[in-house]
Amino acid sequence: MKLILTDRPLNISTDNLDKSVKIIDLSTLKISNCVGCYGCWTKTPGKCVIRDDAVGVYPCIAKSDEVLYISYVKYGCYDTTMKTMLERAIPVQQAFIRLLNGETHHVQRDVAMKNAVIIAYGDISDDEKEVFEKLVERNSKNMNFKSCKVIFTTQSLLEETVNNEVRKWKI
Amino acid sequence: MENIIILNASPRAPKSNSKTYAQIFQKYSKLPTEYFNINKLNHMEICNKIKQFSQLLFVFPLYADSIPVTLLNFLKTLENNPPKNKPVISVLINCGFIEPEQNDTAVKIMKIFCKQNGYVFGSVLKIGSGEAILETPFRFFVSRKIKKLADSVSKKKFCELKVTMPITKKAFLKASESYWINYGRKNGLSKEEMQTLKIE
Repeated sequence: MKLILTDRPLNISTDNLDKSVKIIDLSTLKISNCVGCYGCWTKTPGKCVIRDDAVGVYPCIAKSDEVLYISYVKYGCYDTTMKTMLERAIPVQQAFIRLLNGETHHVQRDVAMKNAVIIAYGDISDDEKEVFEKLVERNSKNMNFKSCKVIFTTQSLLEETVNNEVRKWKI
Repeated sequence: MENIIILNASPRAPKSNSKTYAQIFQKYSKLPTEYFNINKLNHMEICNKIKQFSQLLFVFPLYADSIPVTLLNFLKTLENNPPKNKPVISVLINCGFIEPEQNDTAVKIMKIFCKQNGYVFGSVLKIGSGEAILETPFRFFVSRKIKKLADSVSKKKFCELKVTMPITKKAFLKASESYWINYGRKNGLSKEEMQTLKIE
């Protein structure tokens, strides 16, 4: 499965796209903040206790082996919409800790290893770019990325950048 | 007069480890402190308070390798409603992993906020194994480091500190397994049930 997760509506050309491609526009969904209750680890393992639209998204993240995340960048971090969803995706992990390349990380549930492309847009300074790249590198360990690439772009060039990447997925 | 506003940006602030870390800081601080939990409804109230303080300490956990959305959203409000006198911003961050360095990216994000908005960045304390350390005999290590943080903020001798459990990673894995098994047991779950691979 291939997943496009975007924080804003985009005109993405889906002609000739593999049927396994799913596009989720987070800006159309109702997703509240993770409350840090650990329910998804210690009460209803694998399921978030907040039954809003996020529960339809994190299973798609888990199943996908190719992901394209599109997020505005604020202070070198994903902005609120994408960050909220990423925080709500922790039911895909277990509470238990393992060693990964010598560092402690959570054990994953049934989560496919992924090739990830992150398109980061906005008026992004060099400092922010450096930190955002570091952040994605950290994410790769906790989000099962086997490869990851960050592409920086402006809001005006966003659709073009996204479509260039999506074209690579076409049959 | 020098004083410190402590803002807890944990998503579960009222019953968070961050709250306990903040209380330890208050105990050791030589400067007067006031403590607030950040929630969705009190951003403006806190923004208006900040001008009365010379220093600000954010206390929060690492979420998805960076700052929690609770804090991100507050920073955006603060950006649009800056105080007349900007306090020095210090950070006390904790993560559940044994490596305190896993907090580095979140600290860098806080530094970018400070740089973009004209705040001086002060001290930072990065806590590893922060989920469980307060319930272990190693609590003393954290208290001692928080005292150092409080001293550095009071004396304006800003520095970067870190602390974690002084055990091997292998021992940490074992200890964290017991911690989570006990946590699940209180909810009537077995280890095997917690280990389900099923999602939804």
